[in-house]
Amino acid sequence: MAHQAHAYHMVDPSPWPLTGAVAALLVTSGTAIWFHFNSTILMTLGTMLLLLTMYQWWRDIIREGTFQGHHTPPVQKGLRYGMILFITSEVFFFLGFFWAFYHSSLAPTPDLGGCWPPAGITTLDPFEVPLLNTAVLLASGVTVTWAHHSIMEGDRKPAIQSLALTILLGFYFTFLQGLEYFEAPFTIADGVYGSTFFVATGFHGLHVIIGSTFLAVCLLRQIQYHFTSEHHFGFEAAAWYWHFVDVVWLFLYISIYWWGS
Amino acid sequence: MAALGRLSQALLRSSLTQSRRQLSASAHDHGEQSARTWKILTFVVALPGVAVCMLNMYLKEQSHSHEQPEFVPYSHLRIRSKRFPWGDGNKSLFHNPHVNALPDGYEGHDE
Repeated sequence: MAHQAHAYHMVDPSPWPLTGAVAALLVTSGTAIWFHFNSTILMTLGTMLLLLTMYQWWRDIIREGTFQGHHTPPVQKGLRYGMILFITSEVFFFLGFFWAFYHSSLAPTPDLGGCWPPAGITTLDPFEVPLLNTAVLLASGVTVTWAHHSIMEGDRKPAIQSLALTILLGFYFTFLQGLEYFEAPFTIADGVYGSTFFVATGFHGLHVIIGSTFLAVCLLRQIQYHFTSEHHFGFEAAAWYWHFVDVVWLFLYISIYWWGS
Repeated sequence: MAALGRLSQALLRSSLTQSRRQLSASAHDHGEQSARTWKILTFVVALPGVAVCMLNMYLKEQSHSHEQPEFVPYSHLRIRSKRFPWGDGNKSLFHNPHVNALPDGYEGHDE
């Protein structure tokens, strides 16, 4: 049997990068076709392929790391760099939408009434549901930290409980935001206010859902004894992502909900 | 930019050194206290904070008027340069007939 004289992971050939690329093509072009030709088949097919790709690719990574021992310290370090770089790219993604918001709100044009919020827009009270949402996400940051320390100290049950509590708080946030979206007296089609509001908070909400899913996967893995007190990078990555989501919300709350009201 | 590099270094270092610190946790007790600290913070600060905000919401809801906002046919609102790709193309994804007027006014009302 061949052995490697280094600590790095030479990954086996895998079809998932290709299926992922095909899925990306189908989702994007499918969405354009939906908009113009009223057919959803390509977009749906692309989404299913994307979900299958994600499931199988990440399942394989778990197999390689947790069961086959390929995630040595140098490999883990590389994964850490990767997650940090990814989150950094997401920071820039949101930066763009904040740029758009401030561009429009710092110098409101005459057609809006020369004021911000624009004439005719009834904004949401920042001290009602948005404040509750802030408390919910901040609390979830505390609970995920409790979970991390529990994992590091080998406390299985508290780790499971605190992680589950974190996910529940995430669901509660999503539920509250959904309610807000439905109750809002303005829509995405209400000029630049509506566009900046729903695109920025909408992408944030999508990231909350992604983060909650990531944490849920970690919960299942913790229950199945994947994590050790020394090696649990999947959880750390999920926790970093979750803190990032929390920080983005804080900026959204201060800028759009509070200052922009 | 440099700060970002330093932040990533700190993240890398802290996670790795934390695991290394844990190896000596048996030698002294402070390692076992951290989870307990965050558990206390959860039940004394974080969750009560959420409860207070929920109470605040409940109280504010009661003193609310549930009036429909007045309809003024502003041209910079209710933009329909392209129809929505669902339904009749005139309603947003989270359309609420009670608070979201269509370009001609609220549904089911005659202005």
